[in-house]
Amino acid sequence: MPSVRFDPKATFVRVPARVVGPKGVEWLGLALDTGSSRTVISEHVALRIGFNLLTAHSVRIATASGIVEARVVTLRQIFALGETADEFQVLVLPLPAQLRSDGLLGMDFLRRRNLFCNFGKGILLTLPFARNFLHRCQLVTHLFAAL
Amino acid sequence: MTERKPEPIEEIRKRFKDEWLLIKVTKHDKNGFPIEGILLLHTADKQELHEAILNLREQGEMGELMSWFEGPLVPEGWEVILSAFSSL
Repeated sequence: MPSVRFDPKATFVRVPARVVGPKGVEWLGLALDTGSSRTVISEHVALRIGFNLLTAHSVRIATASGIVEARVVTLRQIFALGETADEFQVLVLPLPAQLRSDGLLGMDFLRRRNLFCNFGKGILLTLPFARNFLHRCQLVTHLFAAL
Repeated sequence: MTERKPEPIEEIRKRFKDEWLLIKVTKHDKNGFPIEGILLLHTADKQELHEAILNLREQGEMGELMSWFEGPLVPEGWEVILSAFSSL
């Protein structure tokens, strides 16, 4: 079962993610953000993997500091925390240079699996949803072994 | 551009601090995470990293490129409030 190591003392939890656009594949560090309803990538990344932001449609989003406009693009694929999603819509925002991350991994992606976090050891583990009792027992075994 | 030899990504990361790394991924582990690559650039300037990737793409580079900051995730003295809410 895939587990990801992170620095438990860091300002936020950063996880590696692979994003596939029309013209490229990139591995990024995304901030795991259970407070964000949507997954976000930076404008720079969107341009680099081949999206034309001038033709992408826009939506208004609420942030802690007000309402802003974001572009919406559809990644061909995103992979993070052992989970792959095809044709996945993400928001595109200009992110400040002080943020050493290229986006946010939001709830629209995170809710696809169960997520377990050990802040003491800096381990994130994702497991599929249990199909039945036996499967649940197998998953619990993986969970204890990994954490 | 400094080095051209594939090496474990963990080893590359240990050599740098407070810099963006640009790595061409050459090998993955059984779960699909990158474990080996070629260091293409290290810089403290995020804009330089961005332009380097754009140049590589223009030159026809189609491989998996990894950009990763090695060091604190925000500069000292800064705090972060993330989160965005939208309905599509």
